Amino acid sequence: MHSASSLDPSPLVRAVGRALPPHYASQEQLIGAFRELWSKKHFNLERLEDLHRAVNVSGRFLSLPIDEYHPLVSFQQRNDAWIHAAVELGEKVVRQALDKAGLTPRDVDHVFFVTVTGLAVPSIEARLANRLRFREDLRRTPLFGLGCVAGAAGVARAVDYLRAWPRHTALVLSVELCSLTLQREDLSIPNIIASGLFGDGAACVVLQGAEAKAQGPRVVASRAVFYPDTERIMGWDIVDTGFKVVLSAKVPQLVRENVRANVDTFLAEQGLKRTDIRHWVAHTGGPKVLEAFAESLELPREALARSWASLREVGNLSSASVLFVLGETMESQEPRPGDWGIMMAMGPGFCAELVLLRW
Amino acid sequence: MAELERDVVAEVRRILGEELDWKGAVEPSHDLLKDLQLDSLGLTVLAVGLENRFRVKLSEEDAAGVTTVADLARLVSRRVAETPEERR
Repeated sequence: MHSASSLDPSPLVRAVGRALPPHYASQEQLIGAFRELWSKKHFNLERLEDLHRAVNVSGRFLSLPIDEYHPLVSFQQRNDAWIHAAVELGEKVVRQALDKAGLTPRDVDHVFFVTVTGLAVPSIEARLANRLRFREDLRRTPLFGLGCVAGAAGVARAVDYLRAWPRHTALVLSVELCSLTLQREDLSIPNIIASGLFGDGAACVVLQGAEAKAQGPRVVASRAVFYPDTERIMGWDIVDTGFKVVLSAKVPQLVRENVRANVDTFLAEQGLKRTDIRHWVAHTGGPKVLEAFAESLELPREALARSWASLREVGNLSSASVLFVLGETMESQEPRPGDWGIMMAMGPGFCAELVLLRW
Repeated sequence: MAELERDVVAEVRRILGEELDWKGAVEPSHDLLKDLQLDSLGLTVLAVGLENRFRVKLSEEDAAGVTTVADLARLVSRRVAETPEERR
């Protein structure tokens, strides 16, 4: 039921830029930095260290040197640091992504900016318009609040737009600086787990409408899935000092209960089966989420190897994570013409987004 | 049930109510998983809360014989008795 890719009306992914901030800290360095803080409330520090080791993350890239987080106490201080770092990293990743696609900022018609880790008005893509000299008729869609799903959902919404504007170029820019949201005073277990898992990073996807004469996997279809009455599974409580994490252990269970049926239904509508999918581009939620993906979709461990590697190397980058895995898949030279792939992520709502790719 | 064990049960009640939004009753006979519906995060929150309040360490091996709130109360009481005062 699908036409050959040269006639395919689907928009295509030209390139994915990925950028990490400059200050690397190993997991053991971070545990060392947290120990004193934890000891204010907690008796068994070894248990907390084990929680940080159990997330399978070897280190994180931070927006600031580790000593410079201590003076950031108020929401304003954290958010000001976020804006500064988000513009710097955003500029770097957009330039890299456009270079990879052989395009310039003047070629861009629409920027979808996604984040859940800071607030800025004018939003980050507007600030980048001044730095990068996008055209003055640039369309901008800043999206706050989709959380980890926003990388996949951002691509899906940009593709919806490009179906209407087949000659246009759109960027999906994700900048997530999770370290600048950390509530050090919150010594609850969910916050301690989050502080062991999440890292900073930015990704930029360059997408073009079907009339572009270029190479890249096509986005054939997408599917949003909302899980009713799951508001407290994940999210932020907005408090005086910023964003306080809401994190439930029920995420892997939700994956187990839903993802298989979600994926199978979505694929069946496209005349496909799970066994037709050669490339699984999964959000690196955490070890238990990746295990739940593999188990419920009956995937061998190597099917999610890039997600596991990304989690280990840089941690969970919220919405940027799945785009890192997409970029690494595209640049691996592994996909062959005609191969099918699925990009999938989950986030607050609770919800999921599935994106069908064809090389 | 000894006094210390009753203190542990009271603390379990407090942690479930205040930190885990548990609205139901908490009785010594309740099964931690089946009756109180604790998941891995909930069990960790509970263990950390008890360790902080009673200044003891609970290990993975300890968990093997623990099914009910009463089992947990006995375990914590035993750890308290085994741990020298100055280390608590």
